[in-house]
Amino acid sequence: MLNLKKLCCLLAIMALLIVTGCNGKNDVNDHAESKTTKHTDQISEIKSNTEQMLSTVKELKAAVGDQNVDQVKQLGKTLNDQWLAFENDVRDAFPLLYTKVEKYEQPIFAQASVDAPDLSVVKTQIAGLTDALNELKSAKLTKQNTTKLLDQAVKDYKDYVKTQADKLIEATTAFTDAVKAGNIDLAKQKYVDARVYYERIEPIAESFGDLDPKIDARINDVDDPSQWSGFHRLEKALWVDHSLKGMNPVADQLFEDVKALNEKIANLELKPQQIVAGSMELLNEAAISKITGEEEHYSHIDLVDLAANVEGSEAVYHAIIPALEDKNKSLAQKLDEQFLLMKQTLQKYKKNDQYVNYTTLNKDEIRELSNQLATLSKLMSQTAEIF
Amino acid sequence: MENKQPGYTRREILKLSAAAGLGVAVGASGLGTVGMIVDTFSAKPTSSNKQEKTVIPFYGKHQAGIVTPQQTYLYLASFDITTNDRRELIHLLKTWTKLSERFTQGRNLDATQNDWLPPKDTGEALGLGASRLTITFGFGSSLFNKDGKDRFGLSHRKPLHLKPIPTMPRDAIDPSLSDGDIIVQVCADDQLVAFHAVRNLIKAAVGTATIKWLNAGFLNGKRGETPRNLFGFKDGTANLSINDVKKQNQVIWCGQGEPDWMKGGTYLAYRNIRMFLEIWDLSSLKEQEDTFGRRKLSGAPYGKGHEHDPVDVTKLPKDSHVALAKSTGQEIFRRGYNYSDGIDPKTGNIKAGLQFISFQKNPQASFVPMLALLSKNDALNEYTKHIGSGLYAIPRGIKKGEYIGQALFS
Repeated sequence: MLNLKKLCCLLAIMALLIVTGCNGKNDVNDHAESKTTKHTDQISEIKSNTEQMLSTVKELKAAVGDQNVDQVKQLGKTLNDQWLAFENDVRDAFPLLYTKVEKYEQPIFAQASVDAPDLSVVKTQIAGLTDALNELKSAKLTKQNTTKLLDQAVKDYKDYVKTQADKLIEATTAFTDAVKAGNIDLAKQKYVDARVYYERIEPIAESFGDLDPKIDARINDVDDPSQWSGFHRLEKALWVDHSLKGMNPVADQLFEDVKALNEKIANLELKPQQIVAGSMELLNEAAISKITGEEEHYSHIDLVDLAANVEGSEAVYHAIIPALEDKNKSLAQKLDEQFLLMKQTLQKYKKNDQYVNYTTLNKDEIRELSNQLATLSKLMSQTAEIF
Repeated sequence: MENKQPGYTRREILKLSAAAGLGVAVGASGLGTVGMIVDTFSAKPTSSNKQEKTVIPFYGKHQAGIVTPQQTYLYLASFDITTNDRRELIHLLKTWTKLSERFTQGRNLDATQNDWLPPKDTGEALGLGASRLTITFGFGSSLFNKDGKDRFGLSHRKPLHLKPIPTMPRDAIDPSLSDGDIIVQVCADDQLVAFHAVRNLIKAAVGTATIKWLNAGFLNGKRGETPRNLFGFKDGTANLSINDVKKQNQVIWCGQGEPDWMKGGTYLAYRNIRMFLEIWDLSSLKEQEDTFGRRKLSGAPYGKGHEHDPVDVTKLPKDSHVALAKSTGQEIFRRGYNYSDGIDPKTGNIKAGLQFISFQKNPQASFVPMLALLSKNDALNEYTKHIGSGLYAIPRGIKKGEYIGQALFS
């Protein structure tokens, strides 16, 4: 990184070049004018599209009130189509608001896409989405500076991490309760739920040193198997031993460790470089231990983890979009397409809202996922251009 | 990236000059500063005689790596294109062209001026020079038509003789070790230099092409002498001289009847031939020599005293390798490499053999009939098994400013 003094020097040179470089002054003005006209058109288009979405949201709200599941699903999809039609323009003009709309719109669409949507989730998202769309409707073009954009990115990502950590506690509680109740079938279900929230924010847990090994170690990671704790110890009990005998202390310990993680996250300080590095770590994890089926060696729910890693990485991408839009628009566009492609591919392996067992995938299918992950990592690694 | 000039962008130069404290100089003598910086950061070889000799020009009428005197190491990489977008494919060929130009000159990729980004160059070959590196590109028939689909609008430009090699008797071909949309042959006298090149080509392809298989090869022979294969016999004695341009035009280089992008190009025929070393090593010297039809030590054909004496087929065992190959009356230009690839855990035998590579202008008339005859009758078959196969069109060489295969796409 350049220090401040060098940066000033650089800015001075750039200014010099701009001044000396402006021979075709008229050309420059013409260009600027046409650009402005284009922007004005684009913005009025954004506004009318936003109005459309707002009226769909209103209908959706009514449908949720009526508990009309079919209509909720249909409207959720309509809403997504409306958003896709102009989201690129929004990302271009109002990157901060873009991430805000995505934050609320995506979960609604996700619910609309499953067989049995959770209407309470849809309801909470509607409130946020309405606010975001209203803001978008009256937004004005302003140029943000990079530091501010990065600060905002960190803040948005921290919010995400906190939400996931809270959900992790909830899901872990349900899981460990089932373990302690000796209910193997229920525990298996709850295990899957809890893994999602952990895998989305795993690099954060790893940054706290001993917590990740306690929560997420696999048997090969520990020196003394009798000291083995955490999710995978219970995974083995559930899927291999088919017995929860002696697992109560392990369940209690897991709950304590997850609680400790949550507390540490509450006071988390992050730098923008750390969050981008974290998103790379998530994709690396997916590419090294999930794609090979090593992570969930007993339950074979590796696709759940893999998808969660991708989602966690996408959360970083969403947070840095405003800064990225500023530095390298085409990279933002490519990442958008690649995340979409990755999610579409993963969707192929969902049956009844659940990911299929890793062992049912053939070589070509695994290779396709691996190739797409590699492309995603390559693009994501270039986002460091914002620094 | 598409619009970036090779080397430094203006912004990168500015950053550099600022970082190096040279900023003030830019306004007045910008070019000088730029030159200095580029020299400092890219490993451009100094123009000592020794280094110049190790550089084989990437540009030319024909691609390098065909009639280039054979280097010691090989990597052969087969790629499948993962996109259906013709522009992305062209972009990859442009990128590969830029990288190849650089690497064959012994230069690495520029340093990244942002420490948070991954380095552009993987770095392991820094300072090693060019080592006679050549990078040769070819197109498989699946690039023109895959499962009945013409993904890139190229099927009407398919060259004359690009048809898959037919299945042969005794074939044990593994599809995962065969074919591919694009073949890249990387050769150098330093294995690390060759590896660095192929690794960076694979890295650059992510998102557009995926590596299907990658094989390494090695070879040695005193200068001017025919190298030996892993059975201990000289291999390639009958090859035409790399200085005989007239003969090359007869045997190797495509001309009339071929599309423009193939005029001056050729076809690469590939076979991955596993050789059963442990069995061979326990066969008698007589059996070994009868199998080839040549003397093991001198390489002389039966009935003659020296390696390059003309072969008298009547003196050779009928099913010997050389007798059969000669009887077709066809010529190909061989440029294969030995390989070893660990052991077979079931038997403990070494997995080794020959990356058979030959170049010829009409493989359907020369290579294929020769292979058919040998596959059926060759005494050598007892000791070998063909496990990989491929045929690729090698486009003509390019001029500076063009990208590889450009004439196929324009």
